[in-house]
Amino acid sequence: MKTLLKTTLITLVFCLNTLHAEENKADVMNGAQVWTDVCMRCHNLRQPADLSTRAWKFSMNHMRIRAGLTADETRDIQAFILQSKSTVDGTQ
Amino acid sequence: MKYLAQHSKVLMHSVILSSMLATMASADNGEDVTVLQVAQEQNALSGFQLAGYASFGYSNTKDVHDGSFDLVNFSPIFHYGYSDILQFEGEVEFSIAADGETEIDMEYAAANLFLNNYMSLTLGKFMSPIGQFRQNFHPSWINKMPDAPVGFGHGGAALSSNVGAALRGGLPKVLGIRHNYVVYVSNAYTLEVAPDGDVDIVAEGSTANNNGTAPTFGGRYAIDPIGGMEIGISGAYGKIADLNSSSNPDKITARDYNVLGADLTYHIGNFDLRGEYVEQNIGESTDPLGIEGGKWQAAYAQVAYQIDMLHLEPVLRYGFYKNPELEQKQTALGLNYLFSNNIIAKMAYEFGNRTSPDEDTGVDTTIKTDKFLAQLAFGF
Ligand code: HEC
Repeated sequence: MKTLLKTTLITLVFCLNTLHAEENKADVMNGAQVWTDVCMRCHNLRQPADLSTRAWKFSMNHMRIRAGLTADETRDIQAFILQSKSTVDGTQ
Repeated sequence: MKYLAQHSKVLMHSVILSSMLATMASADNGEDVTVLQVAQEQNALSGFQLAGYASFGYSNTKDVHDGSFDLVNFSPIFHYGYSDILQFEGEVEFSIAADGETEIDMEYAAANLFLNNYMSLTLGKFMSPIGQFRQNFHPSWINKMPDAPVGFGHGGAALSSNVGAALRGGLPKVLGIRHNYVVYVSNAYTLEVAPDGDVDIVAEGSTANNNGTAPTFGGRYAIDPIGGMEIGISGAYGKIADLNSSSNPDKITARDYNVLGADLTYHIGNFDLRGEYVEQNIGESTDPLGIEGGKWQAAYAQVAYQIDMLHLEPVLRYGFYKNPELEQKQTALGLNYLFSNNIIAKMAYEFGNRTSPDEDTGVDTTIKTDKFLAQLAFGF
């Protein structure tokens, strides 16, 4: 039973790994879409200017876990937030 | 020996190189060095961040006139991240008890390893993934009311946290719909009789080797059918350790245990709707004198509307909580003022009642628990 569970788990991780073709370019448009769909659901919106660029990186990984996001979605939202941040408040 | 010689050669080279670099840097003007330092900080693979929330408030129960500043809470959250590989998060909750003592509670402390696009592994003490309130809505700047719905606070029908391991993440979209999952295995909970005679499910994972019972398996699956909405179902199955076997106080008995949860959130325009149901079922004891088993259940429904121009947010919440000994109902009206999205002043009036057997006669009696609450909450 335990071995079965282990094998299933390892196969699952492996399958999901191969399923996801590595592509590292952030899609800001998709980020904007997911941001509007997800980021107001649990709490009031936290503005891009609220946090430093550095803090956003940690908070986005935190929200990836809380909100059940994929790594790609997390990366896209972060790119969208940081882009809005640099255009709106001129900070980096 | 040869190895040592090689090693010292490398060391010498690096000393020369670094002293050369240091001379170059000191020749530079100070401003450039600062820019360089900032850039290095931004690009470092690892780092810390401090987040969290705090709240301060007042409550007064109508028939008891116990008005006091009793809602003091400070919960720092510590994040450590290493690239996109690992994120540690830990939250400590400080609050003040009625006697003035500071109470400290480790809400969670868990390492998350990001395994792939769709999966991360959580190890440690994590918030219970059953339902939403305990995990996602309890921070004071997120909760739209000054307190938790009945049955969703510590020691109620809703589960607090688990000690164990979880796999979680977002799944590949199906027909353009996002969905996510959590599956976990954790140490068993315990069933205890509190000093006031109430039977409590201690829904914080213990580390006592499951108290001789089996581990608990659980999970949650949720879909986001349209933007701003999430519908989740959750459950857990295992044994609970009964520490109160009355015929033999030293003996711990394992009793059947299962959990069911369902939740819905929908944020549309300025409206925010939330609702949740949770039940924990405990099997009967094999001990004829043991604590009665049964169902611990709680639910709430809440609607809030933000009036942007006035920075105001009226809230209406209804909730009930039931266990084998007690029944509570509550309707709450609240009004919040938003200084900003994460700094909120709240005021609420709760109309409630509580039915439980009278201590002397054993006859069910109902008391009113109407209450006024005010709170300032902020997240950082
Ligand atoms: C499933 C609920 C949920 C969703 C969806 C969600 N958050 Fe959060 N968020 C939380 C909770 C809960 C906290 C408070 C921290 C805690 O208790 O762990 C938080 C805290 C934060 C903070 C404060 C800093 C921190 O790291 O604690 C920021 C910033 C934030 N969220 C941004 C976002 C963004 C951006 C999104 C959209 C991707 C988002 N949140 C979506 C639940 C959620």
